[in-house]
Amino acid sequence: MPNTAKTAVLMLLLLLQGCTNALKVEGDFPIPLVKPTAHNIAVYYDDTFRTYTYTEESKDRGKWIIETGDAQIKLFNQVLSQLFGDLTVISALPEAEAPLAADLVIHPKIIEFQYSVPRETRFKVYEVWLKYNLSAYNSHGGLVADWILTGYGKTPTAFMLSDEKAMNAAAVVALRDLGANLSLTTLRVPEIRAWMENKSRILATVPASPASETVEPKP
Amino acid sequence: MKCCRLLILCAILLPGCTSVTIDELRHRQTSVEIAEGEYVVLLGRRQSSNYETEPELVDCISKTLASNNVAVIPEQQFVDALYPWFEPRTAPMRVKDMNRLLARKQVAQRIDSYKIRYIIWVDGNTETTGSAGSIGCSIGTGGAGCFGFGTWDKESDYEATIWDYRDLQNLGKISADAEGTSYMPAVVIPIPIIARVQNNACKAMAEQLYSFFQPVGASQNNVPGLE
Repeated sequence: MPNTAKTAVLMLLLLLQGCTNALKVEGDFPIPLVKPTAHNIAVYYDDTFRTYTYTEESKDRGKWIIETGDAQIKLFNQVLSQLFGDLTVISALPEAEAPLAADLVIHPKIIEFQYSVPRETRFKVYEVWLKYNLSAYNSHGGLVADWILTGYGKTPTAFMLSDEKAMNAAAVVALRDLGANLSLTTLRVPEIRAWMENKSRILATVPASPASETVEPKP
Repeated sequence: MKCCRLLILCAILLPGCTSVTIDELRHRQTSVEIAEGEYVVLLGRRQSSNYETEPELVDCISKTLASNNVAVIPEQQFVDALYPWFEPRTAPMRVKDMNRLLARKQVAQRIDSYKIRYIIWVDGNTETTGSAGSIGCSIGTGGAGCFGFGTWDKESDYEATIWDYRDLQNLGKISADAEGTSYMPAVVIPIPIIARVQNNACKAMAEQLYSFFQPVGASQNNVPGLE
């Protein structure tokens, strides 16, 4: 290929690259001010959740690649450990033949990610919507509860703020909102509440057993 | 070169015109004062779906009050410490909703640890309401330049609601409406003449809040730096 053609292809690739907005969501989340319950909880993040990346497929919209995996794990770890007092991250869901020592295992899945940018709406805000499905299992893998959790965040456009930074800020606000929802509603899920009441009743009637198997502490 | 410097200086020295209207409503005529060791926190309302009270506006009012010896807790610090109780979807909308919040011992203790006396909610935003004109720029072998004229209008509409945290009472409201027009004539170089609408709304709101916390009947002390 002649040098001119190579240069032209390179320029075209650079131009196409320039049209893509790629970001890895990064942010800090506060520790929720809630009274922890004394339960031994485990959380399981599957590979899809750990590496979740939203890629815009629509040809009518700008190309966005938004990676939220690490940020959402950071949020769930922070909120669940505060909510239940003791949290362990596990690498597989429990099964009847291979039960866990944890009282309850939570398995979050992201089922929807949506966004809007100012040029698509008449409002000068970036918006992010998140929708998660949470499943809770007992130590033998039996389903205890299954519920939906949402998060919404927006951030105003600001002078000298890049598209990526504004979208990151909106995603962090959405995750923060999700964390608020997780902190305040998890213990109100009827099946979780019933499970906790049942657990407390059993603990109150059965004398404490001698040394039981413990789950590896969180690294 | 001298010409350029002169034009830049003109742009800085020639702010666009802004007019500000302030209204105050007091629910009780007794003095509202901040005692030694008591703090104020300003929080932006963010529950609306189509606008957001700008964090920089809340920060601007907080800093202006703080520069006048009003003890102010930074918004982000307070909201993070009280997470998730003052988030857009969980924040109390009415002063009586605070009772529900304070029923939680750890929340009440955390707010008390900040020695908060007044909570001020700021709601509103600044938006561009209209624009006209056009500016064209071109680059040639002989140089580059712009020619044309542009103008745009901005409007700020903010309302501050003052809650007495100790007595759990709504003390009153202050509203600040500001509007202004910015211009940008361009003869070779564009010269922006910017109306600082949001900044003027901030200063006016801060001045009125400062006077709100003075003893009734006392002469109003102007906040230094305000026009």
